[in-house]
Amino acid sequence: MTLPLHSKKDLTARIMQEKIYSLLQQGKRLDGRGPRDLRPITIQTNLVEKAEGSALVTMGGTKILTGIKVEVGTPYSDRPDEGSFAVNAELLPLASTTFEPGPPDERGVELARVVDRSLREGKAIDLKKLCIVEGEKAYILFIDIYVLDYDGNYYDPALISAMAALATLKIPKYKVVDGKLEKTDEYFTPELTALPFSVMVGVLGEKFLVDPQIDEEKVLDVSLIVGTDEKGNVVSIQKNSPGPVPINLMDEIIEIAWEKTQEIRKKFLESVPAKLAPEQ
Amino acid sequence: MSKPKLITEDGIRTDGRRFDELRPIRMEVGVLDKSDGSAYVEFGKTRVFAAVFGPREVHPRHLSLPDRAILNCRYHMTSFSVEERKPLGMTRREVELSKVIREALETVVFLEEFPRTSIDIYIEVVQADGGTRTTGLTAASLALADAGIPMADLIAAVAVGKVDGQLVLDLNDVEDKYGEADMPIAMAPRFNSIVLLQLNGRISKDEFPKALALAKKGIMEIYRLQREALKRKYSATPEGGM
Amino acid sequence: MPLYFSEHEVVLPGQLLSDDGRRSGEGTYVADGKVYAAQVGLATIRNNRICVIAFKGAYRPQVGDEVIGVISDVKPNGFDVVLGKHLTGVIRIPDRRKVQNLGLRVGDVISARVKESSLRGIILEHTRKMRRFDKGLLISIHPAKIPRLIGRRGSMINMIKRMTGCRIVVGRNGLIVISGPSPAQEFAAVTAIKEVEKEAHTQGLTERISKLIDSILKGGVG
Repeated sequence: MTLPLHSKKDLTARIMQEKIYSLLQQGKRLDGRGPRDLRPITIQTNLVEKAEGSALVTMGGTKILTGIKVEVGTPYSDRPDEGSFAVNAELLPLASTTFEPGPPDERGVELARVVDRSLREGKAIDLKKLCIVEGEKAYILFIDIYVLDYDGNYYDPALISAMAALATLKIPKYKVVDGKLEKTDEYFTPELTALPFSVMVGVLGEKFLVDPQIDEEKVLDVSLIVGTDEKGNVVSIQKNSPGPVPINLMDEIIEIAWEKTQEIRKKFLESVPAKLAPEQ
Repeated sequence: MSKPKLITEDGIRTDGRRFDELRPIRMEVGVLDKSDGSAYVEFGKTRVFAAVFGPREVHPRHLSLPDRAILNCRYHMTSFSVEERKPLGMTRREVELSKVIREALETVVFLEEFPRTSIDIYIEVVQADGGTRTTGLTAASLALADAGIPMADLIAAVAVGKVDGQLVLDLNDVEDKYGEADMPIAMAPRFNSIVLLQLNGRISKDEFPKALALAKKGIMEIYRLQREALKRKYSATPEGGM
Repeated sequence: MPLYFSEHEVVLPGQLLSDDGRRSGEGTYVADGKVYAAQVGLATIRNNRICVIAFKGAYRPQVGDEVIGVISDVKPNGFDVVLGKHLTGVIRIPDRRKVQNLGLRVGDVISARVKESSLRGIILEHTRKMRRFDKGLLISIHPAKIPRLIGRRGSMINMIKRMTGCRIVVGRNGLIVISGPSPAQEFAAVTAIKEVEKEAHTQGLTERISKLIDSILKGGVG
């Protein structure tokens, strides 16, 4: 069979596309992994003292640095008893020849929004804990993600780094003195209320693989990022590339995502001193 | 906030250093795989990555030069590198520093070896605690050498300044903020030439040569550390087997 | 006149190598009549000239080099060929029918010889020795490591071919096509080549690579 070459993507050698496909048919991959194997993950936290939370995560050759800055602002009027967070992502030009300097392009915006939805719908933290004075003052978390080295699939390590930075946040406590806020010397770390993680699943022909490396990412027919929480809820899905997903693969893709995020969850809890909220 | 005391009677600075001491320095070469050359440099809590791409073809082609390569440089800070979150995008300060860093590097890179190409340097400040442009330049020079770009010399850089009336080497953030002067200097040490020089603040005419001598002392030490870092990367012999 | 380095010493840009400016060779430059290193590499003497064999650096095509590339554009009078991250070459064929007859498409991987390399660009030969690869793995290593991968009179690459049973075509520009009887054997070849790239400057490499391939093939990794 001949597979169509995707002109929208980077120039790809046809023999590589055929090779990746034929390997996959034998249950193998270029880097020696099986179709359902993630690349090795490393997580380091608290690397940036000027950020209230930070984490450097590597997944194979992909390297992500996330920092969280905390500011005090006014709660949204429809949620007076909650703080808030905002996610941004930059694909730095030092990470890849395909990233350009300048404001985030559509890929950067997409990455930020996918991570944002996973955290929000995954209910990673209780926003009520970020309220200082109801209706008046609340913490705003700026979660900024930087891709430092891009070797395929930046979504999953980006979410892991955001979670690791959240888990190790040190937020300054405030007290109210004469109706005004005053910073104290104390800090607190909000508990994580859930553990949403995602897995990128790539489809090639009727086969699929998880956590594509860059050569694989370039030749995939289509890919999906599926986020789940520790209870088995699917909390985010993004089909992030052109091409159709065969509907009969979907059940299996969701099942794989659950299985693989469980693996990430285990790794996360081993590497990060996360405080989990007690079961409600 | 009022100006804190920056040097004690015994001549000790806020972070415990004497006037002529550098902060603890760490340098690593070849830290980012997808670039052609890269480096990570730490001066105290100031932490910087630099990566080099090229020489590569210029697109669109009409932007290329017929007789030499174009050197591009982007100095950029992460939003969380500073006390107050920096908004995304390039500030005027970052644009200016990108220019003076590029011009410093242009003095040593043999651009005429690669006509019609560009060499692109990206500097990313992960944490800013004073001296980010000099740390960035020191890292960029290592990344260029790591990329195998022909150059006449490495560039080493440091700031000198005046704090509580005294000249000091390698300002940290507080000294930069509350001191009387901050003078970043970069040199190509082999040729004893200055390739970046800026002054923000005031020093007397008589102090200038003393400041320069102090900077040079620091630069020679930084140059030594750069050479060590490069040799470390390329001289490492692996253990037996895998 | 004295030399300021020992044979195969690791030297760095700006390092003084000799007082005799007339002996400046590749990877060096002259200032004030003296020879200095311009790149990170191993200092050596070739044809009485002081040279630095760079560890890294841009590939500079030489006439006659065999290179591997990916067709990126098909035009009436020839093809554009991507030769690596930063380099594009062209194949020019005046006869339009010949262009069609070659039947090359965007994405095809070919090997060809360099006919000309100048300010006009890199021009590849299409007449002799140009061929298209129908299958295989395309990998890329740093072009500066290609001589080490080939080894003295082909010793390294021949050993890898022999031990893994793979066909391996090496382009001077750093692209390599590997095709073997099984994924495990191809994986062994790729791993060995990547290891040569990483450890090119170290001693006793041939023996270590041989052990590495052995362990992969025996261990059934991949």
